Amino acid sequence: MAQNFPCSFRALLFSFAFISMLCQPLSALAVQDPIEQLRPFLQKVTETLNDPELYTLSRKEQSEILVELVRERFDFYEMSRRVLGPHWRNIDAEEREQFVTLFTQLLQYAYIDRIDDYSGQEVEFVGQRIRGDRAEVQTILVDRDRSYNVSYIMHLQEDRWMAYDIVAEGVSLVRNYMEQFREIIRRHGYIGLIRKLEERIDELDGGKREAT
Amino acid sequence: MKLKWTQFFSLRLVLPLMLAALLVGAGTCQAFDFLDDASYEEFALPNDPLEPLNRVIFTFNDIVYIWVLNPVATGYSKVVPADIRGCVANFFHNLGEPVRSANCLLQGRFRDSGRALGRFFINTVFGVFGLADPASNEFRLAPVRASFGETLSVWGVGDGFYLVVPFMGPSTLRDFSGSMVDIVAVTTYYPWNDDLKTATSVYTVNTVNRTSLHLGEYERLKAMSFDPYVAFRNGYFQMRERRVDFFELDE
Repeated sequence: MAQNFPCSFRALLFSFAFISMLCQPLSALAVQDPIEQLRPFLQKVTETLNDPELYTLSRKEQSEILVELVRERFDFYEMSRRVLGPHWRNIDAEEREQFVTLFTQLLQYAYIDRIDDYSGQEVEFVGQRIRGDRAEVQTILVDRDRSYNVSYIMHLQEDRWMAYDIVAEGVSLVRNYMEQFREIIRRHGYIGLIRKLEERIDELDGGKREAT
Repeated sequence: MKLKWTQFFSLRLVLPLMLAALLVGAGTCQAFDFLDDASYEEFALPNDPLEPLNRVIFTFNDIVYIWVLNPVATGYSKVVPADIRGCVANFFHNLGEPVRSANCLLQGRFRDSGRALGRFFINTVFGVFGLADPASNEFRLAPVRASFGETLSVWGVGDGFYLVVPFMGPSTLRDFSGSMVDIVAVTTYYPWNDDLKTATSVYTVNTVNRTSLHLGEYERLKAMSFDPYVAFRNGYFQMRERRVDFFELDE
């Protein structure tokens, strides 16, 4: 019995060490929940939009500040890849880069117009579901008269959950643009799509220049 | 018994439409899973054989919205405060609860059916004829969504094809017939179902009131899209398929 104790104690120590060795890679993998990563980000966006100083800046500066902020949690590359759907495989690396730049610019200009709509709306978190390295965080955007269901579709990149789609009231931004782009590619080819994107960005950019 | 105009309308219009929808075949209404990569790439294009005609009606609705509905609703929203407009919306929503309850019953959603009926009684009694919504706020009974279009879908009736309806907007053959049935069902117990003029004015008030609560949404979606027709068509189908499961988390 007296001899047994140190032996079993050693075994216990050994097994503990073994288990902790096994656990090490697991604990390194344990990243924060998507909801916990999204919460401070959306808070920062709300704070920025609530900051009166933002509205003293020019449109261009406003847009730059917000795009920098949004890049923190939004993966525009993944978003662009998905928007193009199966057609992404038909274009080479250079064309992909061009498309990502154009599509990001389009979103930047389309959403910058919405800054003026912001009037203290708040975000409530409903919940999340995670499957492998994909996650959906469900929120409610509370406006004065009504509220909107908004989901963020995210994927895990190293230890960061990055959003690549927004689903507002059940309508996914990526899928909506995807169907539109597919129709344009079908009718006017990929070149036609690029031309339309450039035209629209020019139009929006021109509008901004006149406004500032 | 003499047929009322609404019932006459229903027989003449809805029955052939429903028969046509039945003939077009069974529908596949599957909820889209955003966490599934394959489903992003593999969604089918909607069946839209009437696209040229639909585009014309879409343009017509667009003109009606921009030149008639939007200015009227904007004026209305300036005269009537937001909370009163909310009450008007509640009132119309409440009137639809018995039909929603019946649709749930037909779909086998017994709990939802009871909830819709419970909401109707609570809101009618404690919410002053449905002007307020104590069922959601005090009794934690969230609104139920159910339409006859959904019921038909549960019964295996296919969408038929995409349809842009004048003054109403995006729909499908099945859902349009379904909403006609819902409208007719509601009018059977509306207090103003006797003459066409009153019914039309009530419908107009409801439409203007509803639009006043969503001002700017249409314009924004349109401004952000390349082909508004395709954008709204896609939005319609997406909205329909996702509706049910927003709060059903599989955590």
